[in-house]
Amino acid sequence: MTGYNLERLNFLVVDDNKHMRALVKTILHALGSKNVLEAADGADAFKELRHFPADIIICDWNMSPLDGLDFVRLVRTGKDSPNPFAAIIMLTGHTEMHRVVEARDAGVHEFLAKPISAKGLYSRIRSIIEKPRPFIRTATYFGPDRRRKEMDYKGRERRKNSAAAASTPAAESSSQETGLTQAELDALFG
Amino acid sequence: MSGDEHEIIRPPNTLKSKVTYGPGGVDLDALEKAEAVIAGLKGSYLEWVQDDLVKLQEVYDRALAGQGDPRDNLREIFRIAHDIKGQGGSFDYHLMTQVGNHLCRFIEAAEELVVTGKSELAVVKVHLDALRLIIAERREGDGGAEGQKMVAGLALVVEKYLKRKKAAEEG
Repeated sequence: MTGYNLERLNFLVVDDNKHMRALVKTILHALGSKNVLEAADGADAFKELRHFPADIIICDWNMSPLDGLDFVRLVRTGKDSPNPFAAIIMLTGHTEMHRVVEARDAGVHEFLAKPISAKGLYSRIRSIIEKPRPFIRTATYFGPDRRRKEMDYKGRERRKNSAAAASTPAAESSSQETGLTQAELDALFG
Repeated sequence: MSGDEHEIIRPPNTLKSKVTYGPGGVDLDALEKAEAVIAGLKGSYLEWVQDDLVKLQEVYDRALAGQGDPRDNLREIFRIAHDIKGQGGSFDYHLMTQVGNHLCRFIEAAEELVVTGKSELAVVKVHLDALRLIIAERREGDGGAEGQKMVAGLALVVEKYLKRKKAAEEG
């Protein structure tokens, strides 16, 4: 059988919980990755990016002093960002709708709900490999195209605020209290 | 740039030059092996979660003794419960994820009301006891019928707390 060889990809794993970092690193190594660097928070991760050309960043949300969302914004729009186009997977237990929309609007590529599995993590990596997305710059957003499908769209930018995104059918069908399932997350990001 | 304008940028696809598709890549077997590697970490998980339970007990004890701000204590409890929620399911302790999530949702609901400390801590305590029991008895998966009965019981405790709290605030 054949598949994608991840050996040459550089991964940066950002999580304030050392056990979670160890788990993600173990999975990446088991999938054949050789270059996996760890950081304990957003500020550390941003420093690492200056000398580590990460292809894919896997980051947690709740971290201190710089949390995952601020880190994503810094990577995307920081004046001294080493790689504003880096692929970012947000890995978190915060799967409530408003949180997911917030992460998407900060510029993440993929959203993966904790607890994780090898299959779940690989499916997000595969999605990044198979569906490279153009970046969009508007007055209020810079990041991967949130529509995902490539299209020659010349109309008004509709997704410039989270309120518009939150009124999608996927949003209405989901419970904000219990959080979204991975399938619902996929529907929202797809 | 005005609100309606947008620019499309096509960054160089660096992944394409680095990732090859072929034999030796990630296939179903590789994924199964990776899942087996995670399963092999179950012993380590039981040590990690034990540390989390000890930390949870410490914050609970401090809060019960009236030390610190009740809201800050609840936030610290939330942080630990959130870690427990995020890890259990990876090691087939889905009931830990479920109860951890339940505790997080309770704290979020409680934070919207007046936090007095004692009554919230009583609800935290039953969750802490449940988490400890799941690990002590190695209740893997969803814990079966008993596990779900436990979760239903926790839901009733939270419901009772919220009803009393709201009635007190309205009255």
